[in-house]
Amino acid sequence: MKERLPTVFVVDDDEGVRSSLRLLLKSVGIAAQTAASAPDFLASYEADQPGCLVLDVRMPGMSGLELQEQLNVRGAMIPVIFITGHGDIPMAVEAMQQGAFDFLQKPFRDQDLLDRVQKALEKDAANREQLKQRDDIRKRYESLTPREREVLELVTQGKPNKVMAGDLGVSQRTVEIHRARVMEKMAAGSLAQLVRMMMDLDLQPHA
Amino acid sequence: MVIGRGSDRTRCVLQVLEGLGPIWWPNEPSRVFDRIARVHLACVVLADDLTDEPVGELLTRLRELHPVLPIFVVTDANDVADAVQAMRLGATAAVELPPSAGLREYVIQALQ
Repeated sequence: MKERLPTVFVVDDDEGVRSSLRLLLKSVGIAAQTAASAPDFLASYEADQPGCLVLDVRMPGMSGLELQEQLNVRGAMIPVIFITGHGDIPMAVEAMQQGAFDFLQKPFRDQDLLDRVQKALEKDAANREQLKQRDDIRKRYESLTPREREVLELVTQGKPNKVMAGDLGVSQRTVEIHRARVMEKMAAGSLAQLVRMMMDLDLQPHA
Repeated sequence: MVIGRGSDRTRCVLQVLEGLGPIWWPNEPSRVFDRIARVHLACVVLADDLTDEPVGELLTRLRELHPVLPIFVVTDANDVADAVQAMRLGATAAVELPPSAGLREYVIQALQ
């Protein structure tokens, strides 16, 4: 599958801001798409598109903070950089508490915005990579047989093969075979790695 | 607990929190972390300006050591950049000078 290039989405009701930011981003080789309103952005937004969002706080109709709320409800992980000419501390605190990546007051220096966009794109890439890894682990976990999952749970509880054999009512040799298959299917190089994988999946070992 | 240099700013914060049993500790990271290990804290208020060197360091280390401890940072009036920086470093919320009922409410919530 072809990898999609990161895009910066600019949502601002001011046409002047949209076009100047699009030009600024283009000047440093960053792809940008603009929208004049929050609903316009939501209508075209695809969650699998990597990138970040530069969002005006105050817009007619749905505000930037309301759009952020909508994105949170949808489970969207796109980093949001708020820009505003009328920001105050409670507004900035609310935006950050809701998970904004940054909050910039207009007027700002072009370089300040570009620095933040760059960091937001890095954050988005890291989030997506983490999600992909988690997805890979889940797929590997789902490929295990019910018996292998039982062994996995006991292994990650730190139980020795002999105890597991007793718990499962099978021979120690059978446990060893299941254990080897679990390690292979999960692509785990060590017990510690296996435990970490289970924690990533929120399947924490419980004794 | 209120951490500050003991300036007017610290006194203002302590005044707003009167009746809630605030304890004042001087803004000295080594002593703060020594003490913090020995007491149970409901929340922390950092009273000094974030640009004062130890404050950012204190906030970062406090957040690392206590991931869920409510930490409130007092910023200069209208200093949005400072408030945003505090939030990025892990503050639960930022409140501006002069500290008002908003800070008191945050602390009451934390005590509950």
